[in-house]
Amino acid sequence: MKRHKEKYDIVVVGGGHAGVEAALISANLGLDTLLISMDEKSIGRTSCNPAIGGLAKGQMVKEVDVLGGVMGFFADKCTLQSKTLNKSKGRSVWSPRSQIDKLKYETVVQEHLASSKLNIFGGEVVSIDTKKNKVCGVLLKDKTKIKCRSVVLTCGTFLNGLIHIGEKKINAGRYGEKRSEGITECLISLGFSAGRLKTGTPPRIKKNTVSWDLGDPGFGDSDPIPLSYRTKDFKPKDEPCFSFRTNKDTHSLILENLSSSAMYSGDVKSAGPRYCPSIEDKVYKFSKNPSHVLQLEPEWTNSDQIYVNGFSTSLSEEVQLKCLRTVSGLEKVEFIRPGYAIEYDFFFPSQLKNTLESKAVDGLFLAGQINGTSGYEEASSQGLLAGINSSMYIKNENPLVLKRNDAYMGVLVDDLILKDTNEPYRMFTSRAEYRLQLRSSNADQRLLKYSEDFKLLDKKTIDILAEKIQKTNDLVSFLKNTSIKPEQINKTLKKIKESPIKESLKVSSLIKRPTFFIKDLKKTNIGLPEGINNNINSKEIIFEAETIIKYSGYINRQKDEIDKIAVYENKIIPEDFNYDSIKSLSNESREKFKRIRPQTIGQAGRIDGIRPSDISILLVYLKRTFHVKQK
Amino acid sequence: MSFVACSTPLGTGGIAVVRMSGKSSISVLKKITKSKRVPKHSVAKKYTAYDSRGDSFDNIVVTTFFAPKSYTGEDLVEISCHGNPVIVSKILELCCLYGCRIADPGEFTKTAFLNGKMDISEAESVSDIIHAKSIDGVKLGAKNLSGGLSKKVKDVKTSVVSCLAAIEFNLDISEEELQPNLIKNSLDVLGDLVLKTKSAVKTFKSSSIFVSGASVVISGPPNAGKSTLFNTLVGTNRAIVTEIPGTTRDVVEKEILVNTIPINLKDTAGIRLSKDPVESAGIERSKEELNTADLVLCLEEKPKKPKKNYLYIYNKSDLGPPSGDFDISISAKKEKNIQKLINMVSSTLLDTNSTSDIQITTTRQLNLMKDVLLSLQKARVHLSTDFSLELVAEELSRAVSFLDMLTEKTTKDDVLNVVFSSFCVGK
Repeated sequence: MKRHKEKYDIVVVGGGHAGVEAALISANLGLDTLLISMDEKSIGRTSCNPAIGGLAKGQMVKEVDVLGGVMGFFADKCTLQSKTLNKSKGRSVWSPRSQIDKLKYETVVQEHLASSKLNIFGGEVVSIDTKKNKVCGVLLKDKTKIKCRSVVLTCGTFLNGLIHIGEKKINAGRYGEKRSEGITECLISLGFSAGRLKTGTPPRIKKNTVSWDLGDPGFGDSDPIPLSYRTKDFKPKDEPCFSFRTNKDTHSLILENLSSSAMYSGDVKSAGPRYCPSIEDKVYKFSKNPSHVLQLEPEWTNSDQIYVNGFSTSLSEEVQLKCLRTVSGLEKVEFIRPGYAIEYDFFFPSQLKNTLESKAVDGLFLAGQINGTSGYEEASSQGLLAGINSSMYIKNENPLVLKRNDAYMGVLVDDLILKDTNEPYRMFTSRAEYRLQLRSSNADQRLLKYSEDFKLLDKKTIDILAEKIQKTNDLVSFLKNTSIKPEQINKTLKKIKESPIKESLKVSSLIKRPTFFIKDLKKTNIGLPEGINNNINSKEIIFEAETIIKYSGYINRQKDEIDKIAVYENKIIPEDFNYDSIKSLSNESREKFKRIRPQTIGQAGRIDGIRPSDISILLVYLKRTFHVKQK
Repeated sequence: MSFVACSTPLGTGGIAVVRMSGKSSISVLKKITKSKRVPKHSVAKKYTAYDSRGDSFDNIVVTTFFAPKSYTGEDLVEISCHGNPVIVSKILELCCLYGCRIADPGEFTKTAFLNGKMDISEAESVSDIIHAKSIDGVKLGAKNLSGGLSKKVKDVKTSVVSCLAAIEFNLDISEEELQPNLIKNSLDVLGDLVLKTKSAVKTFKSSSIFVSGASVVISGPPNAGKSTLFNTLVGTNRAIVTEIPGTTRDVVEKEILVNTIPINLKDTAGIRLSKDPVESAGIERSKEELNTADLVLCLEEKPKKPKKNYLYIYNKSDLGPPSGDFDISISAKKEKNIQKLINMVSSTLLDTNSTSDIQITTTRQLNLMKDVLLSLQKARVHLSTDFSLELVAEELSRAVSFLDMLTEKTTKDDVLNVVFSSFCVGK
C-alpha cells in the first residue's frame, strides 16, 4: 500500500469502472491524482454480469476507447467469447459484446494501475471539504484530511447501500463488502438533493450442480471484433453460454411466494430498472409468457461460479433455490450466493453541468451509479468525461462536452442532466436521435478530433487512426467519382440477383442498394485505390466506406437537421437568468427551468414537458436582454 | 427556411395577399414568375405567375422588401393575386415546392420581434401570439366539422408509436434474430396506416370546402334554364336572363351559404361551338370550371355512365313530367322542389367527405400529412425489402414528429414506455 501525501490535484473516490477511468485519464493528463477505494483488492470489479458491451453499450465502449479510456482494451485481454449483436439488422445497430473473465479483468486493471503514475490509497472518504463553494479536500473516516482542488465521486451502489434477500436486509455496498456512510449527508448539507434507487443481481450457482447437456449452447462469432482500436491480433476463446428455460412450475412457485420478495412485500420502495426486471416481475406482469430464458454464463475461465442471467430477484434464498430447481437441467443446483436487490443513494443529475461538474460546488464531479445510471459502460463513459473535465478544471482549460450527434456518451450526459430519472438510466440506441451516425464502427471518425485536441491518446495511436479515417474518406470519394458501365457489372448483378443497370452510373449508387457490396466489384476491372487493400485496417476501411455510402441519404438529412438546431445549442442562457421576470411562461416550465437551470436554449428545449411556445418566449426575452446589453 | 402564408382571409375576394419571408423568398419568387431580374426594394411590379409545368395561371402584383427594411426584418415578398382560393393555394403550393414552408400562426410577427423590428414593450403581446401556435393543432381540430381532428390524428400516432416500439424492442432489447412475425405484423399495421393517411390527404380538397367554399357549377345545354336556377338559388338578379341562347357569355359566380356550407355557385355559358370569339373564350373557361368543380348541377338527362360529382336535374317540371332519367325534378322558374335540391347539394358535398376519419382543412396540415404518408411508405419499403429495421425506425420516428406538429410532442421516453409495457423485457 502506498501512503498518501498531504495534497493532490484530484482525488477520485471509488474504484469501480467510473473511478478507474477518471483516475487513469487524469493521471495520464499529468495531474497528480489519488484514487481512494474502501478496498484496494476490489478495484475494477465487475459486480454483476460477466460481459462488457452489448446493445448500445458496445458503441459506448468503442467511444470510451477513442477518447483514451481503458475498458475495451482491458476487456479484450480477458475475452471468453466475442459476439456482435443485431447482425441481422442494419449496421448502425451492430453492437459488439464480450463475455469476460471477471477475475482476470480485475487483475489486469489492478496491474495496469500499479504501473501507472496514479496514486492509490485504501480508505473511506466520509466528507468533502469546501471553501466558498469550491472543493478544497476530503476527510477520511480516520479523521485524516487530504487536500485537493477537485474531487470525482464514483461511489456506485455503496452510499448507504442496503441489500435485500427476501425479508433479510444487510447493510452493504456489494455482497460481502462494507457500505459507505457520510458522503450523502455531506452533499445534502452542501445543498444537493438525493434519492434512492434499486438494482438487482441474480444468483451465482456451482458449475458442477448443473446438467449441462440439457442446456442449449450459444457460441460467439467466428470473426470476432475487438472492443479496442488498440487491440491487435484479437483471437479470443470461444466459451459457450448455455440457455435453460423456466416453466409452468417455476412460475406458479414464484407467484405463490411473491410475498417473500422484498420488492412485492413493500420493503423496497425505490424504483428498479424496467429493462432489467426481476424474475418475479417478468412472471407477474407477463403472465401469458409460458417460459422465460435463463442464460448460464461462466464468470471466469474454468469457473466454478456461474451467473444465471435472467434470474435477477429479491425472493428469499430458500424460494430462489426451489424455483431454480424446477428448471429442467437445474434440478440439483446449488448456490454459491443468492440473488439480491440493493438500494442505494444517488443524486439527481440535473444538479450537474454538462461537464459532470456540480452546479453548486466548483471542482466537484460526479460519475456513474451515483448519478442514477446503471451499467459498466455508462459508468465508464461518465468516469472518463469527469476525469477529463476535472483535469481541465484544474488546468483552467475548456472542458470536453460531447454533443448528441457526436456520441452516445453525449446523449448520456445530456439526458442525465435534463431528464428526471425515476429508474436507473441505461443507454438504448433508441435514445439517440442520430443513431444512424453513432455506429460502433465509426467511433474513431466521430471522436478522434477530441482525442487530438485534449491529448487523450498517444501520438502513434492517433496517427494510425487518422490514417484509417483518411483512407476511408478517400475510398468514399473514389466510389462517388468512379463510373461503371453496364457491361462491366451486369453479369455480377445477375449472379447476385440484383437488377441490371441500363446506363453508366457512379459506383456509389450501386453500393446504395441494400445487397450490393464493395466485394461485388472484384470481377470488374475497377480496382480500389492504392494503399487500401494492403492497409492493416483494410477490412474496416472497406466496411466503413460502404456504410457511409449506404446511409448517406439519411445522414445528409440528419446533418441538415443538426445544422438547423445548432443555433439553439449555441444560445447561452446566463447562469443568473431570472425566470420569474417572464410572466408569460407557463408555471410548469418556469419551475422546471428554475430547478434544472439549462445552460443553453437547446438544453431548455429538451427538458421533458417543456412546450415549444415557452422556448419561443425564452428566446424573445434572451434577445431582449442581449439587445439591452449591447446598448 | 423561408415561410409563406396567405395574409388575407380565406375565401373569395377581389384580391388576396400571400406573404413570404426569409432568405430564399426572392429566389422562390423568381421561379414562380420565371423572372431573372432582382426586384427593386419596396416597389410594386406586375408579373405573370406560372405553375410548375410552365403554364401561366394568374397576373400578380409583387412588392419586395429587402432585409432588414421589411416587416419581419428578413427578405419579404408580398404577392397580390386574384382572390380565388384556387389561385391562392396554387401559389402556396408552388412556394412550398420551391423550398418554403407554411408559416406557423403568428410567425411573421414573431420573426419581426426576434429581429428587433418591434418595440421591446410589445413582448407580452407577441408571446400571446406564440402561445397560440402550440395549441394550433388542437384548436383547428376542435373547429373541424367532422369533430376532433386531433383525436383522430392521435389514434394514428398511437398506432405509429406502437409499431415503432415493436421495432425498437427488437433493436434495443431482444438480442434475437429478426422474427418473421414482427415483420408481418408491422407490415399489416403500416399498410393500414398508409391507407388511412392517404385518404386523409385526399380529404383536403373536399374538406377545404369548409374553409374556402365548395365550387358548385351549373351546366347544361343553352336555354336549359341555368341562369334561372342560378338566380333562384342565389335569390338575386345578378345574372342576366334572356331567351336568346348564349346570353351568358362568361362565368358568373356568387358565394352563398347552403346548409352551413359556403358555396361558390357558378353559372357557365352553354357549352357549344360558336364562332363568336367572346363566347368561345367563355366556353373555354366553362370547361375549366367543370373540371375543377366539387359538384356540377347538370341540367341534362343522366347518361349511361353518370359522372361521380354530377347531379342530373330536370328543370322544367312546370312544363310536364321528365322523359328520361334524372336525379331530381324541379322548376327553377316556379321555385318548385328547390329546398329538396338544396338538401341534396349539401348532402352530396358532405358525402364525398366521409371517405376518411381525418379531415384536413389547412395547407399546413396537408403538408404535414403528406410528409407522414411519405415516411410511412418509405418505412414499409424498408421493412418489406431490405429488413433495415433501423431505417424503418428512422422513418417511423419522422412520421411521429410530423404528427407531433398536428397534436402534441412525443418523447423518446414515450416510445420506451410502450416498449416496457407491451414486451417482456430481459433475457
